[in-house]
Amino acid sequence: MSDDTVVDGPVLEFTDGIPGFAGSHHFVLTDLTEDGVFQLLASLEDPALSLVVTVPWLFFPDYDLELPEHDRRSLAIESPEDVVVYCSVIAEEVSDGLYLNLRAPFVANPHTLAARQVILDDEDLPLRARFGGEA
Amino acid sequence: MLVLSRRLGESIVIGNEIVVRIVDVRGDQVRLGIEAPRDVQIHREEVFLELQQENESAAGASARTQGRVADLPRPAGGAAPGQRPARPMRPLPKRRED
Repeated sequence: MSDDTVVDGPVLEFTDGIPGFAGSHHFVLTDLTEDGVFQLLASLEDPALSLVVTVPWLFFPDYDLELPEHDRRSLAIESPEDVVVYCSVIAEEVSDGLYLNLRAPFVANPHTLAARQVILDDEDLPLRARFGGEA
Repeated sequence: MLVLSRRLGESIVIGNEIVVRIVDVRGDQVRLGIEAPRDVQIHREEVFLELQQENESAAGASARTQGRVADLPRPAGGAAPGQRPARPMRPLPKRRED
């Protein structure tokens, strides 16, 4: 990546991209809402690709993330606290609800900015977990 | 798709480092043992495809989602009314810390 690229935030590096977007290796993380609760992961390789993300514990305080050993080693994460985790957010068109992908969080090493989308072993974790309160 | 026949205990090599071995065969179920560099992620195909589809949906819904989260009542995460919630996470460095 050229150092001349002007970006508004940290750039996370996904060695193999993410499922569905294997060619997108660099995503810049910017604030979406002023309080920083919601952020945007925008692909540098594909300007049309962006994902809304948030920190899962803001909405699911009991979210128990067990980072698989091989992912931990691949990202060179030394301790469980020294990790950055975001989950992708989706607004459903029909149901009007907001959902978090708790099954496959984006996990990054906060020092190297190496990142990957990890598919957690717990099959009970939903791909879409509703949050934001019901009407 | 490349199709190879293997017997129990035999292996195939993918690239220079990935090895897939037939560890057990029982009826119509085959147990595979896989050796791969730690950077290589390995998943059951149906799980991978499910996630791929979900990512594509989330990406396709990005504009709608951005609008919807902007409308969410504040504060989020349990902060008291009138209080700015703390930043969810310490800021990441702009560049990797080598």
